Amino acid sequence: MQEKVVVTGMNIISSLGFDLQTNWKNLVEGKSGVRYITLFDASANTTRIAAEVPAEFEEYSRQFVKKRAASQMTRVTRMCYTCAKVAVEHSGINFDTLNRERCSVILGVVNTGNSSTEKDTTFQNTIFKGMTNSMSAWISLEYQLQGPNFVVNTACASSAYAIGLGYDLIHSGRADAVIVGGADSIINREEIEGFNSLYALSVNNDPPEKASRPFSKDRDGFVIGEGAGVLILESESSAKARNAEIYAEVAGYALTSEAYSIMAPMKDGQGMAITIERAIQNAGISKDEVDYINAHGTSTELNDRYETMAIKKVFGERAGKIPVSSSKSMIGHTIGAAGAIEGIITILSIRNSILTPTINLDHPDPDLDLDYVPNHFRNKEIRVALSNSFGFGGHNATLVFRKYPS
Amino acid sequence: MAHITEATKKEVKDIVYQFFADECEVNVATLNDSTNIIRDIDGDSLMFLELIEVFKKKYNLDIELKTIGKYAVKHPVETIGQLIDMQMLIIENENKLLEFDK
Repeated sequence: MQEKVVVTGMNIISSLGFDLQTNWKNLVEGKSGVRYITLFDASANTTRIAAEVPAEFEEYSRQFVKKRAASQMTRVTRMCYTCAKVAVEHSGINFDTLNRERCSVILGVVNTGNSSTEKDTTFQNTIFKGMTNSMSAWISLEYQLQGPNFVVNTACASSAYAIGLGYDLIHSGRADAVIVGGADSIINREEIEGFNSLYALSVNNDPPEKASRPFSKDRDGFVIGEGAGVLILESESSAKARNAEIYAEVAGYALTSEAYSIMAPMKDGQGMAITIERAIQNAGISKDEVDYINAHGTSTELNDRYETMAIKKVFGERAGKIPVSSSKSMIGHTIGAAGAIEGIITILSIRNSILTPTINLDHPDPDLDLDYVPNHFRNKEIRVALSNSFGFGGHNATLVFRKYPS
Repeated sequence: MAHITEATKKEVKDIVYQFFADECEVNVATLNDSTNIIRDIDGDSLMFLELIEVFKKKYNLDIELKTIGKYAVKHPVETIGQLIDMQMLIIENENKLLEFDK
């Protein structure tokens, strides 16, 4: 039996807010969450900016995370847990009415943020704080879910992988509901110096909100973001049985490995193109149905060039007619959380018939000639949308979301 | 071998009660010796280890965790009262805790 997989709940915690409505409003308005770093003294760093989750998050999270559990979590784990609780509330799902052995948690997590910026780490909590699997474990504990509960690490594609794997569990009939998503933060001195040494980060520190410039001629690297994104995936039959609101259908996806380089994407976007092609095939859709692409769009020289080439390779002449935008222009690159956060933004775009813009696109790159929805949102009906995630190590993912008839 | 006075007993009891009230976010007045740590106040086994560390430092105890572990296997702790009793034994007997058990 092949079940349709639908999305019945979501939430985002990012530099632009702690809830769906605030994030969406700010994204549509083209606001940037990039600021000077406050989590540590970055004054001596080459890159001194990031899209930090506002400090008010700690107060906000106290209504969701008990003090005892909070002391065993990193700040990022608290983001993930809080985000999941709000997403569950959003879905209205009641696990008491479901078979908990058929409910799972799969998250994309690169690290838990147990770094030099993390506070109150002791010998007695450092293990729990450092366990990447703790993120899914805490959520499983909270709701007593007894299906598979694990994390996947595929760098910047991690939470897109989690969504794909969650889709598989439901589609194949092995689960009724799966909490999927991811959380991440690498805003610490070690990681920033590491990425600086790879020339991967923007050093356009002034003004911070102008630094992330996907597809722009003067882009100079990505801006680190942080946050969490969580979705409630459900079988269509489960969602219908409880009269749940359905926000979109996950129509399919593809995961591929470029097997090319530990850092650089495959030349001319060949690997990216293959991923997009396979996702379209997996979803059983026509290329003509794709009305929007939420790009990986990192603001690095190679990604933006190759992603553009990949889209052109897959869609041919129609590529120029498909709007493509990068959420990272506003919320930075949230690494392991990016696939989920951007997947949710894609769903909200379908749901609201609004495309979020690529901000800071003031100097178009003459070589990059797609419609990047520059600087201002746009109204548009969307039937099917893609969300791309491409990670260091050649981990590629493309998710396919379809409008669900109301 | 430390001599346990009434003052020590009161001090240990106060520390344990306040610890659980703080960590489990419950009013200390709602706790009693029969309170089940996991079932009633959503506590966890790690709390037991944390309390041992508190008392090790406070009373400068010479006690190894494995000694306590061996004792606890035979004498599981479920309530606050049982935990206080065990802490008293640990303070009183330190690494001779298992000898006491014979």
